Amino acid sequence: MIRPPLPSLGARFSGLHWPLIGLIVLMGLVGYGVLYSAAGGSNDPWAWRHAMRLGVGVVIMLMIAVTDIRWLFNLAFPFYAIVLALLLGVDVMGEISKGAQRWIDLGIIQIQPSELMKLALIMALARWFHGRRIEDVRRPLVLIAPLLMIAAPVVLVLLQPDLGTAAMLAGAGTALLFLAGVPIWQFLLVGAAGAAALPILWSRLHDYQRQRVLTFLNPEEDPLGTGYHIIQSKIALGSGGFWGKGYLNGSQAQLNFLPEKQTDFAFTMMGEEVGFVGCVVVLSLFLLMLFLTLRIAIRSQSQFGRLVAMGMGCNLALYVSINVAMVTGLVPVVGIPLPMVSYGGTAMLTVLMGFGLTLAVDAQRETIIPRFPGHL
Amino acid sequence: MSPSLDLLGLKSNPSLLKGRRRLKILGFGFGLAFVSVALRLVDMLPPQPAISSAEASDEAEGADHRRPDIVDRNGVLLATDLRLPSVFGDPLLIPDHAAAAKALAKVLSGTTAAELQDRLDKARRFTWIKHQVSPKEEEAVLQLGIPGIGFKEAEHRVYPKGRSASHIVGFVDIDNKGLAGIEYGIDHNMVGSIDPDVPVRLSIDLRVQEIVADELGKAMAQFRPIGGCGIVLDRVTGEVLAMVSMPDYDLNYPNAAGPEQRRNRCSGGSYELGSLFKVVSHAMSLDTGKVTLRSTFDATGKLQIGRFRIGDDHAKNRVMSVPEIFMYSSNIGTARMAFAAGGGPALDSFLRKLGFYDKLPLEIPEVAKPMRPHRWPDITTATVSFGHGISMPPLQYLGAVAGLAGDGTHVPVTLLRRDPGDMPTPERFIQEKTAADLRSIMYLTVAKGTGTRGQVDGYLLGGKTGTADKAILGHKGYDHNKVFASFLAALPIDNPRYLVMVNEDEPKGDKSTYGYKAGAWVAAPAVSNIISRIAPLLGVPPSAPDTILSYQDKFPQTRGIGLKSVEGTKLAAVGAED
Repeated sequence: MIRPPLPSLGARFSGLHWPLIGLIVLMGLVGYGVLYSAAGGSNDPWAWRHAMRLGVGVVIMLMIAVTDIRWLFNLAFPFYAIVLALLLGVDVMGEISKGAQRWIDLGIIQIQPSELMKLALIMALARWFHGRRIEDVRRPLVLIAPLLMIAAPVVLVLLQPDLGTAAMLAGAGTALLFLAGVPIWQFLLVGAAGAAALPILWSRLHDYQRQRVLTFLNPEEDPLGTGYHIIQSKIALGSGGFWGKGYLNGSQAQLNFLPEKQTDFAFTMMGEEVGFVGCVVVLSLFLLMLFLTLRIAIRSQSQFGRLVAMGMGCNLALYVSINVAMVTGLVPVVGIPLPMVSYGGTAMLTVLMGFGLTLAVDAQRETIIPRFPGHL
Repeated sequence: MSPSLDLLGLKSNPSLLKGRRRLKILGFGFGLAFVSVALRLVDMLPPQPAISSAEASDEAEGADHRRPDIVDRNGVLLATDLRLPSVFGDPLLIPDHAAAAKALAKVLSGTTAAELQDRLDKARRFTWIKHQVSPKEEEAVLQLGIPGIGFKEAEHRVYPKGRSASHIVGFVDIDNKGLAGIEYGIDHNMVGSIDPDVPVRLSIDLRVQEIVADELGKAMAQFRPIGGCGIVLDRVTGEVLAMVSMPDYDLNYPNAAGPEQRRNRCSGGSYELGSLFKVVSHAMSLDTGKVTLRSTFDATGKLQIGRFRIGDDHAKNRVMSVPEIFMYSSNIGTARMAFAAGGGPALDSFLRKLGFYDKLPLEIPEVAKPMRPHRWPDITTATVSFGHGISMPPLQYLGAVAGLAGDGTHVPVTLLRRDPGDMPTPERFIQEKTAADLRSIMYLTVAKGTGTRGQVDGYLLGGKTGTADKAILGHKGYDHNKVFASFLAALPIDNPRYLVMVNEDEPKGDKSTYGYKAGAWVAAPAVSNIISRIAPLLGVPPSAPDTILSYQDKFPQTRGIGLKSVEGTKLAAVGAED
């Protein structure tokens, strides 16, 4: 079979989904504004780095977007294997960061393999299910391999220990199984098994993780301890009111009451300064991004493309909804940043790479991907 | 479909069709998640969303955050507002940042020139120089005459009594908003209507509070528990006269305290209370009428329930009467009583009536939820009857006991002073006759049972000891080396007005207790000391001798420790030690 040629590079660029790209860059600029304000109206120490990462990330995103999707398809399993090895690596030689082993130092940059795993897992699962017929997916035994593919990184990330990322990996993996057509009763079965395993998991949790869950249940118990984050976050959000206190004028954040305002609690900082209206605008922009991603997934003609796009959509939706639910006290503080807005390199890079894949799926939605690489 | 087409995974691929439907479901689900967090944001909007941002920022500066004073029941000041200026700078108007920073640092204690200059260089039009300066510092800054430096006045909370009642009063953040205790309650509608000019009057009597803190502090020093709690409760009005959680902290410096100091162990911690809980299960058993003070139960050997064996700490290995079971704190006897009185269902509905299934309503946020069993197999009925498998804050327990150890009626506990005209209608927990029976066995416990170290010269007391093994976190089972030790006393037992309780979390025995760390050894003496100091203060006269004798006439003849033997020993008024 002859591999159909791709259009020229220029044609590929002009065929990209530019409205989505514009939206992504806009969101990154919102992040710049928030970080500028978080430093009390200064580019230093966060905003300018954020802007640089945004620039580099967008270039990487565009490079991925114009890559041949069949090539990405072939890369899925090797990429997964490499990231899994890196995850193992951090457990062995990772640097201790705030009590958790998450980073691996490559000399020039430090990367968080657990973030990359979010991409790798989605790609690998999409690749696996692309090669299966719907009848196969119904057979429980066929699911052993994808379940292992999900379980291995989840366990490694839990060991680091990073509860939030592990939950996101498990969530995205489950969503992909659901999309691939795994029968509902099997989900119920696994769900029941998971509920039964909860007490065991609880006893394996680190003290600080237990403390976080307990604090979430009653944050007022210890207003200056672990509950402090949530209480301050609620106060700041509430004091912003409908229109906010004005950009650069949030007293909770500017006076340093708000902890982690540049990372996990960036949304709170925004809420205090630009108010409910600002928050809803940003949430709407995220919702629009999610909608566009969803449409790309629906329009894709290959199972791989659809699952990858939807997986990235899931990833984005999980990031945003968990982060906002966390800072508003709906779920425990688990350390999930707000994508494109919070300060933090790997998370933004991961999301941008995910968008790169999504854009590639969109631009090459008519491309036929054979079930197995051998058929190319 | 031809095999080759299927191999390529074309449009008619059924997994694509199925996937499309599921994709929409999932997309809808995520949309819903977004909407629900947005709704949460609506929920968090302040009541009047229409206020302009200028007003809002004024409010943040504390202009509108005047708080009512907090005083004890006799009007002693515990918390008040002080209007203090804070210094700020407008970097644009300050000609020479370095010179200004240097001059300011010289007159403002706790600041450095480098830090101030850094702040001035980074901000655009506004930066705080120092919060809450003294009049002397204000004067000095004015004398410097630097342009662009100004003052903003704001309310600053001060706590003249420092550590006293720290867990009840609570503290505020820098915007003068309540973060803990009554201070939090004031801002969250938990204290009733608030007028900044009318002090919030607590039920606490600071004199009693200080005595409890002193005696609990001595016990803490001697037995080195990780935490302690002491409560004095007015049984008739439901008012908490003293509630001390240790370790405590100075309210003026809440940031200097750790979470262990800030934890309110009396209401914010939930504990298994062990034998102390027998007050409740005995009240239940006696109130059914199926068990009376004259009933006897076999406490020989051990009680076998399924694969569990229940034993006694002070095993007598014989048939025991109900008063003996209580005063020697027999687990076997208590469990058999609970079974005779109707078992799990009877205990279940009794605990519900006492409010042990709900969070205690209180005027402060630091209230832990009780943990209770949801199913009642025999082993649960047995363990709950002697205080394991159910946990609650000590204050919640004592509040319920107030409805048992008096005349059988109950008034909800409060941390605010109650006017006599304002008393809630008492709710009946048990019959008056049951309450009298309960008081008699509580009396025997202090007179001759496990609670003799709780006696006070001249006062007729009743009480109960408790020493609960602590559950091991995250594992099944109990750690026998770590206990929660308690003693509870009713004063005076013929007509109790006050309940006094001391709890110690993981006390260590010493030479004076022969290494024992039981409630009888580590908590009862503290309660005894507290009562001997507060009884005169609260106007409780020593019990008259004929009251003591007439009270004793009510006791039934029980084997070994009946009326005669009680009369034969020295009366409770005498500190008898064995």
